[in-house]
Amino acid sequence: MAMEVTQVLLNAQSIDGNVRKHAEESLKQFQEQNLPSFLLSLSGELANDEKPVDSRKLAGLILKNALDAKEQHRKLELVQRWLSLDNNAKGQIKACLLKTLASPVPDAWSTASQVIAKIAGIELPQRQWPELIGSLLSNIHQLPAHVKQATLETLGYLCEEVSPDVVDQDHVNKILTAVVQGMNASEGNNDVRLAATRALYNALGFAQANFSNDMERDYIMRVVCEATLCPETKIRQAAYECLVSISSTYYEKLAPYIQDIFNITAKAVREDEEPVALQAIEFWSSICDEEIDILEEYGGDFTGDSDIPCFYFIKQALPALVPMLLETLLKQEEDQDQDEGAWNIAMAGGTCLGLVARTVGDDIVQLVMQFIEDNITKPDWRHREAATYAFGSILEGPSPEKLTPLVNVALNFMLTALTNDPNNHVKDTTAWTLGRIFEFLHGSTLDTPIITQANCQQIVTVLLQSMKDVANVAEKACGALYFLAQGYEDVTPSSPLTPYFQEIVQALLTVTHREDAGESRLRTAAYETLNEVVRCSTDETSPMVLQLVPVIMTELHNTLEGQKLSSDEREKQGELQGLLCGCLQVIIQKLGSSEPTKYVFMQYADQIMGLFLRVFACRSATVHEEAMLAIGALAYATGPDFAKYMPEFYKYLEMGLQNFEEYQVCAVTVGVVGDICRALEDKILPYCDGIMTQLLKDLSSNQLHRSVKPPIFSSFGDIALAIGENFEKYLIYAMPMLQSAAELSAHTAVADDEMTEYTNSLRNGILEAYSGILQGFKNSPKTQLLIPYAPHILQFLDSMYMEKDMDDVVMKTAIGVLGDLADTLGSNAGSLIQQSLSCKDFLNECLSSDDHMIKESAEWAKLAISRAISV
Amino acid sequence: MAEGGLTSHRRDPIKSSVGNVAAHRRRQNAVEVGKERRESLVRAKRLCRVSSSCDDSDVCIENDMIIDEEQSILEAQTSSAVEELKSAVSFQGKGAMQKLVGALREMRRLLSKSEFPPVEAAIKAGAIPLLVQCLSFGSPDEQLLEAAWCLTNIAAGKPEETKALLPALPLLIAHLGEKSSSPVAEQCAWALGNVAGEGEELRSVLLCQGALPPLARMMLPNKGSTVRTAAWALSNLIKGPDHKAATELIRVDGVVDAILRHLRKADEELATEVAWVVVYLSALSNVATSMLVKSDAIQLLVQRLASSNSLQLLIPVLRSLGNVIAGDSHTIVAVLLPGCEITDNVIEVLVKCLKSEHRVLKKEAAWVLSNIAAGSVEHKQLIYSSEAAPILLRLLSTAPFDIRKEVAYVLGNLCVAPTEGDGKPNLISEHLVSPCW
Repeated sequence: MAMEVTQVLLNAQSIDGNVRKHAEESLKQFQEQNLPSFLLSLSGELANDEKPVDSRKLAGLILKNALDAKEQHRKLELVQRWLSLDNNAKGQIKACLLKTLASPVPDAWSTASQVIAKIAGIELPQRQWPELIGSLLSNIHQLPAHVKQATLETLGYLCEEVSPDVVDQDHVNKILTAVVQGMNASEGNNDVRLAATRALYNALGFAQANFSNDMERDYIMRVVCEATLCPETKIRQAAYECLVSISSTYYEKLAPYIQDIFNITAKAVREDEEPVALQAIEFWSSICDEEIDILEEYGGDFTGDSDIPCFYFIKQALPALVPMLLETLLKQEEDQDQDEGAWNIAMAGGTCLGLVARTVGDDIVQLVMQFIEDNITKPDWRHREAATYAFGSILEGPSPEKLTPLVNVALNFMLTALTNDPNNHVKDTTAWTLGRIFEFLHGSTLDTPIITQANCQQIVTVLLQSMKDVANVAEKACGALYFLAQGYEDVTPSSPLTPYFQEIVQALLTVTHREDAGESRLRTAAYETLNEVVRCSTDETSPMVLQLVPVIMTELHNTLEGQKLSSDEREKQGELQGLLCGCLQVIIQKLGSSEPTKYVFMQYADQIMGLFLRVFACRSATVHEEAMLAIGALAYATGPDFAKYMPEFYKYLEMGLQNFEEYQVCAVTVGVVGDICRALEDKILPYCDGIMTQLLKDLSSNQLHRSVKPPIFSSFGDIALAIGENFEKYLIYAMPMLQSAAELSAHTAVADDEMTEYTNSLRNGILEAYSGILQGFKNSPKTQLLIPYAPHILQFLDSMYMEKDMDDVVMKTAIGVLGDLADTLGSNAGSLIQQSLSCKDFLNECLSSDDHMIKESAEWAKLAISRAISV
Repeated sequence: MAEGGLTSHRRDPIKSSVGNVAAHRRRQNAVEVGKERRESLVRAKRLCRVSSSCDDSDVCIENDMIIDEEQSILEAQTSSAVEELKSAVSFQGKGAMQKLVGALREMRRLLSKSEFPPVEAAIKAGAIPLLVQCLSFGSPDEQLLEAAWCLTNIAAGKPEETKALLPALPLLIAHLGEKSSSPVAEQCAWALGNVAGEGEELRSVLLCQGALPPLARMMLPNKGSTVRTAAWALSNLIKGPDHKAATELIRVDGVVDAILRHLRKADEELATEVAWVVVYLSALSNVATSMLVKSDAIQLLVQRLASSNSLQLLIPVLRSLGNVIAGDSHTIVAVLLPGCEITDNVIEVLVKCLKSEHRVLKKEAAWVLSNIAAGSVEHKQLIYSSEAAPILLRLLSTAPFDIRKEVAYVLGNLCVAPTEGDGKPNLISEHLVSPCW
């Protein structure tokens, strides 16, 4: 039933728009009329060596797109569609694809290998296509070499697509054997070797059992290490990528090989081509990641049992590792500071050095200081920059006791260099290093201040001066000022920055108006620094913050007046509007936090809201997000008066809640729903039907990113707290949603960290909803409406307690809900609570918790329960 | 895709623009602020206590409470509520009762609000004399309950605010009597408990005014909530440092029986409050201690220790047991005889506590053992041969300092024995020195 499709496929790539359009139409029609026949025709086209390459390639691509999509919802649809296809047709398609692997045309077999992997990704988890791996492996020993290459590539893609638990160990062993043999030095064909090395990268996740076997592991490691010495650059790079992946997946198995790996990576970092050297550095960065995680777990948990012990590879390698990394710092590129996407050996080396410092702490300092002293005054800028960069890199990790004396000496030198060094690159790194000093060694938590009355003025003067320097240096100077201000966030009543406040604000505003403020993200840095300066300011400077309101409003107003912009200009305009909304958000928060300033600020509220509403007319996700955040802040400041803005604002709120694609906008909007509930209280009632409808739609959508769902549940609670018993009419919709989500989240099947974290945030959202609803109904004659839901809520608490995997936040919220049940339902809940399996144990555990938040909630719950029971 | 091979792993450079971090932090901060406000709102709602004993329907039609975080607004509301109360107190017309109860309820609601109830504002506005007036004899229960409730919340304030309650004390004590309904009596006991918890000075005022006997009598019946509240108030009242109150309490007719009866009951929360009373009785009064020793108290305490896993309960029970053993030499000499079942039981529950996860239990159990170890040579041998010895030794090397200190006392006491002949205590060489040491 296959059809002739060659011409249509070629036409679909025609330069003639009409021809192309027509061809696309007929392909679409064909697909809609008879999908199995369509796919079969495509696979036939792909397999046929007599057909033109272009039609074959497109046939493969369409096949691939018929099996997979980026968007999760669509992807599931396609999977279901394939699974429900006629078996006979599927069999023929798969046969064509396997046949294509033997084609001498690289474009054909390469496309086929990807399609095969996609089908495997769908079918293997269903225990279908069991013969696939066997038939692929039988290709391995075939000549010519390109068949072997195609097969290895297919195996690689396959390992990328399917999860290790659907392939049995026997097949895993055979795949690994084939792949490692292909990587072996005895393999004469470099294409085959490269395909094998890349396949191994994907297959490493399957090799758990093999890495636990000494002999097999030794063999794999030997082959990988040998491949790092291969004459072919791409193979060396791919081999190092395997090592990087091994370093994180099999960290605990590395001890016997680490010395050898150090030797080969050190040689690669010093001598090899950049892509290879970068991966060699990455190996050590990745080891640092592992050890930082393990040591953090040691520190956090006083029982000291991490699943994986720390082997202190970095500490042991330190005397050789640090000099190797320091050498890389001298390999800067001339213009890397102007290029935002730059990544080279020097940058990777410094980044790794920073990770090493975080891993070993004080031990690194002495090893780096000598290098700094030797290079910081050299005539060649590369030496001065490298020395400064080294210093900046090690400021996080070592103790303040160790660093403060050094910083005290260095600070003056840095300030002078930032003013006088003739080289922009050196100044850039110097300003960044100052920022790092302020970030890690300045603030109320540190015992010895490095910034004193004596040097504060000089620091501010130098930074403000540098903000007039070239864009990249000015951007770093803003960054330094950002952290300088942040260090003073807790000082009251007077901040050392108060005398310079006006001057700093003026200088930052001037920077935002620079012609070149679009370069090096300078404008963004200037506005964010302004925000931080405002956020960390004290009451003394609030009159000046008030003066800033009309200034920023005017700026925002001006962006809205622009006419007919090019799309490029519009994008820039949108970015600026986002920055200005962000700035207003911070200013509103600041002024709203104290009565006198809030009172004065309120005179601008109408105008500001007017501006925000106009901003929504622009179509840019970032701008919407920022405007929403600012409106959330405004709602808090205005309180119930916010009601007057609701008629106009409501449609944008709804738009935000409908924005599935840009889910961050949706998430921020859900947060704003909560802000508005707390501001308006029962005045939000007229809008609740619309909001609840939208929130319920969001929850039932497969398209919405899952991270938005927990906050949506929390916002049910916010709404119920605001409207009390009026929440009644939503109970029949909200409660079943909460119940089914609760059932899902009560038992966590897999124990991976990300899933556990998500489960806990989901539980927290659900619990916050229950708390809000229960407390919202308290004191109302309608509380009895909630009684039918109580058993399930208690069950949910019971099952979470049994699972023993709640984090502290969930525990606090959960014990609170127990109290809410008793508080709102009284004796109706009392008897249920007494019958509950574990409530009493749960309560007692919380009462003796070390976390005072948990304890506080528990004490309240105990009181509420004792009242409910004693009635 | 094929020619590019793998997309190489590429991490963020350490030297990066401040803009990215800053914008992210700003968003996080907005989320945090929302969270905090949600929590403080929920907390405020929770603190609005709803009367459980009052099923009057007009309680239920209270409007949704306007939660305002601004303390100043709350204070303004409070002063006007006091004004309202003032006019309600003097109002004589139709519905005077409803009006007064309504005003009291509003007052109580404000005082139950937020983390920082506007106690100071209420006192300043003159709430106390009005509330005292509302406590006058013959007033309806609802009025008494609301007034006492207001006073309870005021008493929970700062020390000087608690002292403002002085004029109300006689009436609060008067309403503890048998003629009052139990919700009213409980609420008054609660208020007095708060006052007694404030300090020695107020405790002695309460004792002079005769608060103890009626509170003690509230412990006698079997009504759980009344006994719990009374026990809690009493444990605050007899805290000392003067020991007279404790002695006075134990001498009230029926109190010893009531304590034993409540300790026997399954209700752990009730037992917990009663156990705290026993803690202070046994810590301060020799009379009380010897009366308790002669009763079943030790047995009951031991049973409780053996059967419960509630830390809340175990702590006062263990401390009571320790006090009784330390306070009365009769206990060790005549009750905890080596070979008796009770003695073995005591050692057993102490071992349980030593093994517990909780440091307070470990520490106190060691302290109790050190007192037993100070007894006869037989006592020392008993401890030495029990499961306690290896646990103590392990604790000595691994436990935190405060526990180690107590453990050292036990071990020290174990080794102190009368010397014979060559000056070396036989006990050590005969019984305590073994190769595994």
